[in-house]
Amino acid sequence: MIEELDQSLAKPPYSVPQAARDHTLLSGLNRLTRLHYERCLPYRRIIDGYWGGQTHSGDLEAVPYLPVSIFKSQLLQSVPDSEVRVTLTSSGTTGQAVSRIRLDSASSTIQQRALANSLMHVLGKQRLPMLVIDTDAVFKDPKLMSARGAGVLGIMRYGRDHVFALRPDLEADYDAVAAFLDSLEGRPFFIFGFTFMVWVKFYELFRNRGLDLSNAVLIHSGGWKKLAERAVSNEEFRAAFREAFGLTRIHNFYGMVEQIGTIFLEGPGGLLFPPNFADVIIRDARTFKPAPMGHTGIVQLLSLLPHSYPGHSVLTEDLGVIESINDHEGEWAGKGIRILGRLPRSELRGCSDVIGMAA
Amino acid sequence: MITLWAAERRTVDTAEFGELIESMADAHAAPLAAELVDIVAHISTEILRTPILRTAPQFVALGYWMRAAAIRRIVAEGRAAVPDGNVLAPRGLALHLPPANVDTIFVYSWVLSLLAGNSNVVRLPAKVSPPTEALLAIIVDALAGGRISSKNLFCTYPYGGEVEQRISPLFDLRIIWGGDEKVALVNKVPIRPDGLSIGFPDRQSVALISLEAYDRSTAEERDELAGRLFNDAYWFDQMGCSSPRLLAWIGTAVNRETLARDLYSRLQSVIERKGYEVAPSVAVAKLLVTNELLAEGAGHRGEWYSSELQVVHTAEPAAALKRGPGGGFFLECTLGDLRDVRLLVSRKLQTITHFGFDIDQLMELARGVAGIGAYRIVPVGQALDFNPTWDGVPLLSHMTRQIVVKAN
Repeated sequence: MIEELDQSLAKPPYSVPQAARDHTLLSGLNRLTRLHYERCLPYRRIIDGYWGGQTHSGDLEAVPYLPVSIFKSQLLQSVPDSEVRVTLTSSGTTGQAVSRIRLDSASSTIQQRALANSLMHVLGKQRLPMLVIDTDAVFKDPKLMSARGAGVLGIMRYGRDHVFALRPDLEADYDAVAAFLDSLEGRPFFIFGFTFMVWVKFYELFRNRGLDLSNAVLIHSGGWKKLAERAVSNEEFRAAFREAFGLTRIHNFYGMVEQIGTIFLEGPGGLLFPPNFADVIIRDARTFKPAPMGHTGIVQLLSLLPHSYPGHSVLTEDLGVIESINDHEGEWAGKGIRILGRLPRSELRGCSDVIGMAA
Repeated sequence: MITLWAAERRTVDTAEFGELIESMADAHAAPLAAELVDIVAHISTEILRTPILRTAPQFVALGYWMRAAAIRRIVAEGRAAVPDGNVLAPRGLALHLPPANVDTIFVYSWVLSLLAGNSNVVRLPAKVSPPTEALLAIIVDALAGGRISSKNLFCTYPYGGEVEQRISPLFDLRIIWGGDEKVALVNKVPIRPDGLSIGFPDRQSVALISLEAYDRSTAEERDELAGRLFNDAYWFDQMGCSSPRLLAWIGTAVNRETLARDLYSRLQSVIERKGYEVAPSVAVAKLLVTNELLAEGAGHRGEWYSSELQVVHTAEPAAALKRGPGGGFFLECTLGDLRDVRLLVSRKLQTITHFGFDIDQLMELARGVAGIGAYRIVPVGQALDFNPTWDGVPLLSHMTRQIVVKAN
């Protein structure tokens, strides 16, 4: 593990203010750029061909980045095949290319430790009993094993005595949930699920069951697109859970498989905050130049975690905005961002149309 | 739903549509007749004086292409191509399947078939742009004026089902514009046994620039070249088959990079002056292709001039040519000599535009690539100009038949 990551993890989670963070990250990211440059030939070709061979940058904004979709078409790894322990894939609808992320055992450990560090910030140091808003079939049945299953398994490691709120047919398992809550006798616990599932398969199915979840911490992720289609915003989501279950400690998080282990966790004001070892740059959607606070643009993610593949600086296809910097010193340091969805797709014209049949 | 574009648009069912097309089967006109030329010329005049059309470059180009003098030249060439003693006859009933996204192709295809004396069914995309709508109004009007509305049907109908099965066997000629998959899919349903189905599938195009000529040229000439390159590449978001996606610099000048960058900066100025912009997702898509080519080793250097102009230098141009995200993404390569252009040529290559070569060099180039690929060699700035010989196919002669007549 590079020393800058070690230093970041040694500090209380989400505590490093921006200036100190810039300093550590720059040094760490430069180190990672060099490391991947030396060990990953396709990455070296990109750095040489597009970034003038620049493996040392004077500031964070100058650190070379990869478009995140490149992990869909290229297998980029900085460890020999023999050391690859796991290949993670992104979720994607059938037929779509998925990202392939290669981890060796050291990176896998780093990733788990970093994620534990982040979750500890809202869950505390003890592992809590955990209610999963999903079915265990999602990872038990190899046919169903997917990015969702891998995501559930990845988070389950941070809870104990797991109970699943849904049956394999994704219908509510009311008895299991009731028994779980009875067994707790008022002690704190942890709920995890994907945002859409949590709404459709938990809130909507359990809302009238008189459940008291005031001792719970709900962590959810996966994006708002499907809920936005149902006109459910984060505010409405939070208000609904408060009213129906007395549940107020809710933390959404933003992250992607290409930076596995790095989660932007929801803090005050519904904003998402990067962990100590990560940061975000918003780039103007037209010029790709760094944009100031308050300016909506393309989200670039920086993280010290990717050691086995060159994913330490990626340009996403998401739009976002920085709404605060260091406004919550100590508890939630650094930038507070809002994710505003995907870059709108746009069709170019052209005579080579495949859609001509339906049009 | 089947919609017929006429003075009053109306919808019909499959049965009525089938009968309507059947009734057109023998309604041919004499090929290259003066009345047909007049109708086309009239449409040209209307295009060039309709505000929404005369301000859009692709419609202006269309208007000029079909003005009286130009059409008379096509007619004269058509006549000259018929051996003495043969009588030109229409091929019969033609079906035109233009691409959904290029809003003028259907007119080029239809005009030639009209001149050939054929009856025509033109399938339009479900959604057409406001200028195309204006253009269709002009055409419908002109057809009514020329009393040939019943021989020319502009319509919208769902493809790939019952309607296609019903009408396809009626056609003598089918012109398919679109991707490889579309052409293959359409060809699954046969037309008449003696019918001719012509596909214009996926093609790619390149521009050749002589380093020596560029080096010699003045600032004005270079700006003009950049302007013409812009028109070739950007009118259809660089997604037209004829839009260049690769710039091959020909020669051995040592200041190659300086010259190339000079052209790209001038092109960037044109982009800014014309206010051409792509959506951020398009810029990201181009950045992705740049990175992919570099990662694979197919590209050696990528340069970002703006969201609208990205250039990747490649030493494997033939392989890299397959990638065309459009919207201002150019591959570039250097070739020592025009003879090396063969390396770029395949069946998929359509148009070669050129700057700085003389006719002898170009004829030699044409003979060198004959049989391998490349179907047009025209100056930079004329990539999108429609030629009655398209993809190597002389359309007028394919759209007609000839009757051999011998008296004794």
